[in-house]
Amino acid sequence: MVAVSDPILEVDGVEKYFGGITALDGASFDVESGITGLIGPNGAGKSTMFDCITGFRDPDGGSVWFRGEDVTGDSPSAVANRGVVRTFQIPHELPEMTVRENLALAPRDQRGESLVASWARGDGYYEDEQRAQRRAVEAAERFEISHVLDTPAGELSGGQRKLLELARALLTEPDLVLLDEPLAGVNPTLEERILDHIQTLAAEGYSFLFIEHDIDVIMEHCQEVIVMHQGRVLMRGEPEAVRTDDRVVDAYLGGDAE
Amino acid sequence: MVETGLIDAVAQGLVTGSIIAAGALGLSLVYSIAEVPNFAHGDMLTVGAYLALALNNPSEIPFVPNAVALPFAVAAVGAVVVAGVFGGIYEKAVFARFRDKDADLITMVIVSLGLALFLQNLVLFLAGSANVTYDTVRRVNVNVDVYATGSGLGVELTQRAGADLATLDAWGYGWLAVVAVLAVAVAAGVAVYRWRSADTGYERVHFVSPRVLAVATTLAVAAGGAALTRGGTVATSNPAFSTRIGVSWKYGAILAVMLATMLCMNYVLKRTKTGRAMRATADDQSLARVRGVDIDRVQLVVWVLAAVLAAIAGVLLGWYASNLNPNMGFNLLLPVFAAVIVGGIDSPYGAALGGLLVGLSMDVGVYLLPAEFATYRTAIAFVILVAVLLVTPEGLWGDA
Amino acid sequence: MALADFLVSLLTVVSVYTLFGLGLNIKYGFTGLVDFGHVLYFMTGAYVTVVVTLPVAATSYEGIGGFALPQLLSGVPLGGLLAWFVAIFVAMVVAALLSLLVGVPTLRLREDYLAITALGIATILHTVVNDERWLFNGPFGVRDVHQPLAEAFPVSLGSFLVNLAVFGLVSVLVLAYIGYRVGDYVYGVDLRAAAMAAAAAVLVVAGLGAAALGGALVLGGVLVAVAGVVVLARGIGRADGFGRPLALFTALVFVAWHFGTPFFTAGPSGVLASAVWLFDPTAGADGGFTYGRFVLLVAVSFVAVAYWWCERTVNSPYGRVLRSIREDEDVPEALGKRTFRYKVQSMMFGSALAAAAGGLWATHIAFIDPTQFIADITFFAFTAVIIGGAANNRGVVVGTAVFWTLHTGTRFLNDYFPTEYATQLAALRVMLIGVLLMVILYYRSEGLLGEQTYDTGVAAEEGGRSE
Repeated sequence: MVAVSDPILEVDGVEKYFGGITALDGASFDVESGITGLIGPNGAGKSTMFDCITGFRDPDGGSVWFRGEDVTGDSPSAVANRGVVRTFQIPHELPEMTVRENLALAPRDQRGESLVASWARGDGYYEDEQRAQRRAVEAAERFEISHVLDTPAGELSGGQRKLLELARALLTEPDLVLLDEPLAGVNPTLEERILDHIQTLAAEGYSFLFIEHDIDVIMEHCQEVIVMHQGRVLMRGEPEAVRTDDRVVDAYLGGDAE
Repeated sequence: MVETGLIDAVAQGLVTGSIIAAGALGLSLVYSIAEVPNFAHGDMLTVGAYLALALNNPSEIPFVPNAVALPFAVAAVGAVVVAGVFGGIYEKAVFARFRDKDADLITMVIVSLGLALFLQNLVLFLAGSANVTYDTVRRVNVNVDVYATGSGLGVELTQRAGADLATLDAWGYGWLAVVAVLAVAVAAGVAVYRWRSADTGYERVHFVSPRVLAVATTLAVAAGGAALTRGGTVATSNPAFSTRIGVSWKYGAILAVMLATMLCMNYVLKRTKTGRAMRATADDQSLARVRGVDIDRVQLVVWVLAAVLAAIAGVLLGWYASNLNPNMGFNLLLPVFAAVIVGGIDSPYGAALGGLLVGLSMDVGVYLLPAEFATYRTAIAFVILVAVLLVTPEGLWGDA
Repeated sequence: MALADFLVSLLTVVSVYTLFGLGLNIKYGFTGLVDFGHVLYFMTGAYVTVVVTLPVAATSYEGIGGFALPQLLSGVPLGGLLAWFVAIFVAMVVAALLSLLVGVPTLRLREDYLAITALGIATILHTVVNDERWLFNGPFGVRDVHQPLAEAFPVSLGSFLVNLAVFGLVSVLVLAYIGYRVGDYVYGVDLRAAAMAAAAAVLVVAGLGAAALGGALVLGGVLVAVAGVVVLARGIGRADGFGRPLALFTALVFVAWHFGTPFFTAGPSGVLASAVWLFDPTAGADGGFTYGRFVLLVAVSFVAVAYWWCERTVNSPYGRVLRSIREDEDVPEALGKRTFRYKVQSMMFGSALAAAAGGLWATHIAFIDPTQFIADITFFAFTAVIIGGAANNRGVVVGTAVFWTLHTGTRFLNDYFPTEYATQLAALRVMLIGVLLMVILYYRSEGLLGEQTYDTGVAAEEGGRSE
């Protein structure tokens, strides 16, 4: 579906230690456009890898490159502004703000986001805010949460939070979206809807790297799969090759299997 | 004339430090297990100190019947027990309720601030703002004067008697003896460290950490050696260096009480079922609950222990300073927080060590700075706090 | 002190601390920054304002300055007033810069570490101001506070009757407007709740009035007042919200206090004096408009401007980012907002407002010393903000008014106890504040008004412009 091209994200030998525990032990991989799955048993370092890519943690070694530029150690906002946006394993809705506000927050470079502009409200302030509000409504419609637009996000159901999280991430117009277990704790119907959304968005040109436990989902929806184990990349390849690889089977059936 | 110097400041700092350490130990328990950054902890010190005053010297407090006046030691123990009951009340009446409501960290900060305002002013309300003291047996400090001369180290014990200084005792050591004792002491310490840390593994929990044991051994051997090799007086008329260390049996008692407290806490945390439950709760509350730990009971124990430790620190602070006032605890809050943050909030041992470090820095700092900076004693603790937070936002010892 | 003067003084204090609380609300309510050192910027504002306008070589002042700004600007029309405004502006800038210095290292820390470091910095700088005489005269404080236009007061319009007519009319209009707003709000209240609120007001007023007579009536009066509070609580229970019955009760008690008390102490002329509260018959030969009332006017204007300014700030995409930081800083950061910059700006803006409050405070009180800037002032502001409802600018106004009315109002108790118990009564007051803080957080953590709603100036549904 998507032609293989230059990698958009390159992770090169990233290391991360917590006290005496090695979370990432020189993990390296490339992510190309399209949908890439990141799998591995619990404790393999997947979420830590997301943290290191998006700047929420500084790697203790190695580097992260996005579209040929070094983003290692950049702040999360700097990484986001380059076009890499993430979601969180446990949805981080802003509980006391409405869904509308949660969404309107997301578009980047809003004029009214500067202190002085919020006072002066000069050129383009209202037009820009109208645009943000319109896009919030559109995103809510697209992700089927427009009926709860004016509900505080803290009152949403688990599934609605997942959708809100995804919608909010996409409103930043990213190149690459890092999804941390977007299907965890989601019922099968909603799971289908979320996967459909991801497929449609991928067809529109967004790229995804997503962590998922269900191997079948990965096989069906990803062009590429990266397997992590004990802080390293065990293998990277086509879904079919991964499914039949002995090392992957060992990693999942070995001591760390769930 | 012999002047007090750095060593005297260090001795003072050790006493201050152990008082801060007791406060910090309690605060770190509450911080890590109850997850409350307890701004009322300083005032819990004050409450403990005044409880002892009410039992020991009730005539200083207008609203307390002037019936029983217990000896200071008895009053102190009674105050600590009553303070423990108060700790249970803080937990049951305030913090357990907010925990049940899943109050966030900021709310807990402000709740503890409310409790701080309440406690501080309760003391002010009942006892007034006057500076008061315990009724204790007063003894005159002994000065230990140390002279370094060509022929050896001379020691003189002097005491102020009226307008004069009376010499109580004097003795000396040859340089050879000094070097020998120090060498033996250090060697003993190293040997103990090697011996105790030989079987260190991930699973092994030492009752007393090898490092602490090694330092204790070194000090004990040095003291023993000094007693054994004690020689005749050394001529002290023209020393190369001399310094005076003010010593009081009070300091010794404070250090001994603190040491005993630390050992007891160490025992509770490492050798009792409750202690293990506390540590499990600190690591992961929900996991501990799944494993069958009675969280409410653990929290109650934590608050009682914290209040007991705070009361011990408060009583000793009031005794050490020979002065109690309703602000005494709140004024110590900053150093206590500094100690906890320096030591890492999840580590009671780090907190105790942090307390010693902060206390030493405060007194040594005041000694080293010009006299007009004496009011900035607390500021020194704060500078340490900020410096540590800037370098390592998680504290010096982290989760160790 | 006449009742009207007391009211003017109380309102001025409430205005000053409202301004202070609005600054805290920007930091704590909207951004989630627990700045336990907020009073530092209040102190900074007060000292900078005073020192900038202090004459050179003021008597018994050994600190830095004075910079004699009013004398420098004496050639300009209204130079004294201009100098005062410049001084307030300088104070705001200095406080903002100071909070920048404080914020850059501390705002990266966890919220609890921020609380303790902010408290620490404020405590230490308070010690510095108190101990270093070369800085701002240490514990002796600063007299000779520049009070702009003070020489023009009391303003008199020529004769007693004209003064009474003009200022009295203004007073009555103000009271009437407030009465209209309150009535408009209360209108539509459940009738039985209204009746019970009225009955409660009668009981409380009668009880407190009886207690004020002293003797054996104290206990009975207090019991009657407590019964009134119980009636009020039951009345509130009957209504669908607590706001209207409570407002009605408050209004009735205020009217009884404002007009009833002087009637019993001074007769009808006392009632008249209360009605024309902006007019002081004892000022000057013909009575007039006193300087204290002018300061109140200035303070209220400051609050109005600051309120508008804060509302404009939070009702914007900028305010949206601030609130998202309070809710969960990781989210705006992951979406590409540079949250650290927002936190620093929030700190600076809030501190500048606190500095303006400090300048006003100095002008009102006319003498400043370090005892006026203890940490309790910060804690009181937190209590006031939480009473009214954090993240609600109107809540700050209500909360501060409630807090300082209770705080100042309970001072009259001092009259009934021997003076040696003044410390005890003050301690009791702060004890109750501590309890109040905990009780409100437990039973009604959103405060009286709850969090406000937001409007960025663009109607959400149509995406059209609504301003």
